[in-house]
This record gives sequence, C-alpha cells and structure tokens, in this order.
Amino acid sequence: MTGLPFELLSFGPEGWGQPLLRATGITLAAAVCGFTLGSGFGVCGAALKLSRHAALRLAGQIYTTVFRGVPEILVVYLFYFGGSIALTHLMNLGGFPGFFSLPSFVIGVLAIGIVSGAYQTEAFRAGFMRLERGQLEAAAACGMPPFLRLRRIVAPQALRFALPALGNIWQSVLKETSLLSVIGLTELLRQAGIAAGSTRQPLLFYGVAALMFLVIGKVTGLAFARVEHRLARPWSR
Amino acid sequence: MDWPFLLDTTLQLLSGVPLALQLAALSLTAGLVLAVMAQAAMVSGVAPLRWIAVAYIDLFRGTPLLVQIFFIYYGLGQIPAVRESALWPILREPYWCAVLALALNTSAYSAEIIRGALAAVPLGEVEAARACGMSGLLLRRRIVWPIALRHGLPIYGSEAILMVKATSLTSIITLTEITGIAHKLIASTYRVVEIFVAAGAIYLAMAFLLTLVIGLAERRLNAHLTHRRN
Amino acid sequence: MKTETQPVIVTEALSKCFGTVDVLKGIDFQARDGEVVSILGASGSGKSTFLRCLNLLELPTSGRLHLLGEEVRLREGGKGAADRRQVDRLRAQVAMVFQNFCLWSHKTVLENLMEAPIHVQRRKRAEVQSEAMALLDRVGLTARADAYPAQLSGGQQQRAAIARALMMKPRVLLFDEPTSALDPELVGEVLKVMRDLASEGRTMLIVTHEMAFARDVSSRVVFLDGGVVAAEGPPKALFGGGFNQRFDQFISRFSQG
Repeated sequence: MTGLPFELLSFGPEGWGQPLLRATGITLAAAVCGFTLGSGFGVCGAALKLSRHAALRLAGQIYTTVFRGVPEILVVYLFYFGGSIALTHLMNLGGFPGFFSLPSFVIGVLAIGIVSGAYQTEAFRAGFMRLERGQLEAAAACGMPPFLRLRRIVAPQALRFALPALGNIWQSVLKETSLLSVIGLTELLRQAGIAAGSTRQPLLFYGVAALMFLVIGKVTGLAFARVEHRLARPWSR
Repeated sequence: MDWPFLLDTTLQLLSGVPLALQLAALSLTAGLVLAVMAQAAMVSGVAPLRWIAVAYIDLFRGTPLLVQIFFIYYGLGQIPAVRESALWPILREPYWCAVLALALNTSAYSAEIIRGALAAVPLGEVEAARACGMSGLLLRRRIVWPIALRHGLPIYGSEAILMVKATSLTSIITLTEITGIAHKLIASTYRVVEIFVAAGAIYLAMAFLLTLVIGLAERRLNAHLTHRRN
Repeated sequence: MKTETQPVIVTEALSKCFGTVDVLKGIDFQARDGEVVSILGASGSGKSTFLRCLNLLELPTSGRLHLLGEEVRLREGGKGAADRRQVDRLRAQVAMVFQNFCLWSHKTVLENLMEAPIHVQRRKRAEVQSEAMALLDRVGLTARADAYPAQLSGGQQQRAAIARALMMKPRVLLFDEPTSALDPELVGEVLKVMRDLASEGRTMLIVTHEMAFARDVSSRVVFLDGGVVAAEGPPKALFGGGFNQRFDQFISRFSQG
C-alpha cells in the first residue's frame, strides 16, 4: 500500500497527480465564482448600508452582522440542506415527484458568495467613506449628473481604497473552499482525503494540499499587490 | 413558527456551548504562548530562528484551518514514533487534535497581531524613554509593552471571536459542539432554517458577549485617550 | 557650585552621514557649565542631528564625544556605543526636551515626571513625588497633575516635558526645537519657562528658530551651515551684523517674514 511519493503523485495510472490537479482547478473555480458573487452582494450591501433610509441601512446591518458572525460551515449546511428542500418542494409542486438536490458546486458558490459578500460590503463601505466630499462637490459644480459622478469619480476611487481589504477577503475565500469538501464537492481537500484514505498516506496528501493552497495564495497575493501598486500611483509622492 | 421545536432545539444546541468555549479558551491560551515565542524568535537576531518563525507563521496563515485539522488528526497516526509514544492516548483523541490544530492556527495570526502592536508604538515616546537612560527590559516593561497592549487588544479581540467561530470546524472530526449538534439535528429533522437560526443566534450571542468584555477591558486601559480638554 | 575645570560637552570632528548624505562634516564644539548655547541654522544644516548625537539618539559616524568629563566609548563606523551601561548612565544626567513633547501617552502628567527618577535613578517614591509636585507648580501645571497628555494643550504638554526633564536633576539640558510644533500663542509660555531656567544658571543647549530668544537669553550662539560650524560667538556679536556674511543672509530671511 505504500509507494514512493514520486510515484503516488505522478500522472500515470497509479498516480494521483491528475485527480489532484483537477481538484485544484475546482477549488480555484469555486473560489473565483464565490468571490465574484460576493462582490455583487458586497456592492448591494454597501449601497444598503450607505442609504438614506433607516430601514435599508438596518437590512444591510443585519446582513453583515449575521453572515460575518455565524460560522461559515453553518451557512454551507444551510444552503446544502435548505437548498435541496427548497428545490424538492419546487419540483414536486411542478409535478416532478422525488427528491432533488442542487449540485454541490452551485451550493458552495452560493454559500461562499453570501458570506464573502458580507465582508466585501464592509470593504466597499470603508473604501467609499475615504473619498473626499469636496471632490464630489467639485464634480457637481461643473454640472456632472449623479450617475456620471458615480461612475467616473466615486467608483474608481472607492474600488482602489477597498483593494487591500478585498485582497485579504480573497485569501479567506480561497481557504473557505476547503469547507465544501464536507458537502461532497471534489475540491482539493476532499480529493486529498480520498487519496489519503486509499493509500494510507495522509501526511503526504494533506501536505500536498497545504502546499497547493500556499502556492495559489502567494501567487494570487502577488497579483493583487501588483494591481494595488499600479492603481495607487495617483497617491504616491 | 414552531416555538416548542425551536425551544427544544435551542436547548439541545446550548449543551454544545461549554465544549465550544473550552476549545476556544484552551487554544487561545496555548496559541498566545506560542505567538509570544514566535515573536521572540523573529526579533532574536538569530537568522535561522527568524526564518523558522516566518515560515511557521506563513504556513499556518496561508493554509485552510480544515486542512490543518485533517493533517493533524489523520496524519499524526501515520508516524510510528507518535503511535508508540506515551502521548498517543492523548494525541489520538479528536479533542486534543482539535486543540492542537486550533492553537497552532491562532498562534500564527496572534504573532502577526503582536508584531503590528509593537510596531505601532510611537517612536518619539520610546526615544524620550531612552533619553532618560531607560533601556532593555525596563524600557520594554514600562513603556513599550503597555502601549503595544493598548493597540493590540481590539484586534486580538476580533481574533478571539474568530476562534470561537472556528471551533465549529471541529464538528467535522466528531466533536459534539454546537455545530456538530446542529448538523445532527438538521440531518434527522430537515428543519434547516429553524436550526440555522437557533445555532446562528447562539454564536452571535457569544460574539456579542465577547465584544462587551473586550470593550470593557479597552475602556479601562484607555482612560488616557478620552478627550476632556478644559 | 560651578567649577571651571572641564567643559561638560566636547566634540572633536564629529561627523554623521545617512547613507550617502553627509549631514555633519566634522564639528568641533565645547560647552561649559552654566552656558546657554543657541544652535541656529537652516533646515538641513544638521542642527537637530548634532544635538541628537550628543545623547546618542543618533550615532556619529566618526569623531569623538566627551560628556561630563568622560569619553563616550564608540564602536567603529557609526555602529553605536561600545558600552551601553555608560550611555544609560550619562543619559540619566543629560535630559532632552523634544519637538513633539513625547510624553508617555499611557501615563498621567505626574506619572510621566516620576517614571525615570524612580525606575532609572532608583530614588524613593515619596521624595520623588513631592519634588514632582513642586516642579509642576513651578511650570504652572499643578491643576493638571492627574491629567493625561492627550487632554493637554501643546504648550501644557511641553511645559510638562520640561518638568520631566528637570526631574532627572540633569547637568545639561538639551532642547530640540522645543517650540516648533506649537501654535504661535502657546510659544510664549514655554519660552518663559526656558528663560527662568537660563537665569538660574543651568547649562542649556537649544536648537531653535526663535531668534529673539536666542539673541536675548543665550550666552553663546552657534550657527551651523551645511554640516559645519560657520559662525560662533556671543549673541551681540552675531546679531549685531557684519560678523559673518552667511549668518547675516540667514537672519535676513527671518525678518522678511
């Protein structure tokens, strides 16, 4: 049952290299989709929290408090079990009996999206608050209509200010994809677990999984830093 | 809203709170000790020690907690030396594997918090102390550490709350804390929303209480920052 | 009881460079007991750097430094003091007042004053406390003894900082632009305290931009230009005009303000 690490990780029939690589791809895909969905939620959440209406602000506050305060794994369970029940009801009503479940990838992306959206709300909100009111007034004073002001003055600056926080949130999202292993998604951790169980080499395969996360984290971190640096040029002396 | 069910669920979930708090408290304490050691290694000036500390912090902040938990829980048993050691009865228990993994994880984040807090001490105040002839342990004890503590406490408070949330992952290696009980209930009753609400409320309550406690500590330490000019 | 034996501070060819920039290019300087020396110069002339070299907050790259009759043992190449104990001991007798006050923000004014005497000089708390209250009375801050620095105005903080320096019973007082960070209306209260100290016969080295103060209160003026001592002498001579061309140019910029 024990083989050399080199053999076990190879891409041949005996090796786990290919499944692991595929699983890494799924991890990345889930992270990217979850983060992007979260950005959508984040912009909406920030808009809610910055609104003039107290009811909207409250809704935004509830969103961020709940989904930042509750453990992510519970949110995953919520969507996994809850999603299946909802879908089953829907299909049953529509005349299709039986039990239906959503694909784990979709559930995972939804769960990650809604949680990271709560954090991204705070990032966008903080980024927005750093804008100088005077600049908006100057734009209004030359006759710029509100939507144009948003597009050309507010959004670009708010985004740049939010970027460092968004980078941290991305790193969290990447690591959170590992939670999806418990709902059956064959991402990196689950695949490593399968390999570990089959070959009785948990140290090797979990070690490899850890290494992959580290590498992806570092590479994406550098990419973020590059972008941050490029976008921050107007403020550097 | 099925109130009797909600009440019964909440009571069942609450029985998991002591375990969750235990796990959090143990790992935070051990983690803090490890963090201080790591920080000491970083500033020691001994290059190999520094590299090890930096690699250690990078490792535990850059990999998912669940991977760390699995690595320790499933991996330790693979090493013959561990299996045959006197510690094996302890190390095979999910409880102690969980504590170990959580402690190592939080120690890396805590080390960064300590580093940031020390860096935030205003240089001028340190110089003024040096100019009076203070140095070494006296300087650190009377000036640097108290100021750093005031900077680091709010951030460490957030870390403590994150740790309480992190204990939820130990349910995956069979520990019956709040999330473990919740999972069991959901799988058997399929009343997802009610159970999610109840469990979520308990975590939010714990976070809220923790925030209050930290806030109190902050207020006591920060009496000097309230602006009451005559 | 001032004896005219040795100067309290002597520097020989003191130099300091930051990377490739030579800030101090060989300063020969002496200060005797009871002198009030004003150190003037344009920004970048090295005057703050020079002052900070005297209590080794900056480390000279070359040259020699004698404090209170002792030579400060330095390591080669600007790497610092060879004997940390000696430095701590000397620093406890040479007090510094900073441009940004630098009171310890987590301690009250009274605690700030008592901190070094108790913990560095190992004096008894009761004696230190009564001295501290007396000094606070002298600088006009008795009512603010239990306030924290953040609750005080800039002028009050600087007066507290001066009292803190005096608590060490120093033989020399170093002032690094003590009024530069203050709003104009608060400058006067600090200068008044400094005038009182000068009239007591204290040994003071003051880096400052306050020309009137330098002219009226100092016993000697040192003008630094480009990292060297360009002119030196009694204030009447320098401020009288015609003593040194570069000094006259420097002064004229201030009167055009």
